[in-house]
Amino acid sequence: MKPKIKNKPRKKIVINPKIVFWGLTVFCVILIVVSYRFSEVFSPVKNVIGSVVAPMQKGINDLGDYFENKAEHFSNMDKLIEENRELREQIDDLKNTNQILNQEKYELSYYRELYNLDALYDQYDKVAAKVISKDPNSYSGEFIIDKGENDGILKDMNVLAGNGLVGIVTETGSNWARIRTIIDDASKVSGMFLKTSDTCIVSGDLELIDKGYINVSQISLNAQIYDNYEVVTSYISDKYLPGILVGYVSDIGVDPTKLSQQCKLTPVVDFEHIDAVLIITQLREQYDGISEVFRSDN
Amino acid sequence: MIIRAITLIFGTFILYVLQTGLFSSFSLAGVVPDLLMILVVSTGYMHGRIRAMITGLLCGFFIDCCYGNVIGVFPIFYIIVGNFSGFANKIYDDEDHMTPILLTAAGELLYNIMFFIVFYLLQGRTNLSFYIYRITIPKIVYTVLVSIILYRILRLINNFLLRFDKTEE
Repeated sequence: MKPKIKNKPRKKIVINPKIVFWGLTVFCVILIVVSYRFSEVFSPVKNVIGSVVAPMQKGINDLGDYFENKAEHFSNMDKLIEENRELREQIDDLKNTNQILNQEKYELSYYRELYNLDALYDQYDKVAAKVISKDPNSYSGEFIIDKGENDGILKDMNVLAGNGLVGIVTETGSNWARIRTIIDDASKVSGMFLKTSDTCIVSGDLELIDKGYINVSQISLNAQIYDNYEVVTSYISDKYLPGILVGYVSDIGVDPTKLSQQCKLTPVVDFEHIDAVLIITQLREQYDGISEVFRSDN
Repeated sequence: MIIRAITLIFGTFILYVLQTGLFSSFSLAGVVPDLLMILVVSTGYMHGRIRAMITGLLCGFFIDCCYGNVIGVFPIFYIIVGNFSGFANKIYDDEDHMTPILLTAAGELLYNIMFFIVFYLLQGRTNLSFYIYRITIPKIVYTVLVSIILYRILRLINNFLLRFDKTEE
């Protein structure tokens, strides 16, 4: 091999960039068609890349957090002292309320027994996870977390942050999972007004969320709803577990077709600064199975 | 050549991880700078169309693997941008720092137009003013600011690799 190179100066292969351009474009189009028609073909590739990228993103994310914290550490000293004082007062307050609530809990559990509401969402098993990367194209409402199939995360599991609904798991790898939030344009959640039990559809809107809202539609004209009513996930949803808080409504009005009411909803979750989430490791189907058992038992 | 290929894959990988991973600490007005775009445009400026297109293919492939529902949309975007930025290779000047920055801005604009057509217009979302005001402009400004620094780093790496090219020949 070697003498060949030595004898004549290395031959430069000239390829017309135009051909490369069209070749690659056609290649991509074929990729699009193949991956659209047979999505399973690429899932191992996606899984491998995801599993390699996830730990690195986690590390980089931690690094970013570290610097951010350091910067805040120096700039916010006074603020923290003030906040600390306020929080202490709040703790005393909360201790007091907690005691009262504890007493009421006994009553509540008694009433729940009466009403057979055994499976409320504070009893679901949850797994905590960290958000490690967001879609590089801003405003798509999807992100990736650092837990995957190895931690028991499956597709269609519900995701919470604090006490509000964040979204649903749409894809999983061995150590990562993709989550579509309820503010994403593709997201539609079947909801229900807690006070009146009227059902509605909560649909994401990435333009409106800029002002802090998403859309609620298909509310019955007869529904007696008012501002600040709570919307929770409904009993008729096939993917979301019932009774998870979504948000509070406002701007109620009749929709253009005059057949139903529509309004805006302020989600309880702060989607801009979301960094940790809880995943309920129970699927809707399992829940239905369990409640069936309960019903048949009683 | 092999060293360059390895550097390219690693570079793409690192920039991709940085772009998606550092969002929480470094996003301004809800957007993150498009580091991969800077890489593609700089490659086009320094090495011409073919290499830029290959870089674009890699970049797009990474994005689609983690975030796309179908694979192949983002590679096309980046290949087109890479192709056009490659024309600027004819006026390449090692000392010129202004041209790649302007090219980055143009590339980002082109990318955003394509993104708007595919992901907004074809899905029935037509609010162009919102898109320009809220996404395109912040993204271009932020990417350009970052490209001022990143291009210098990429140029340093390029000049370092030139030594290997010479020894190979």
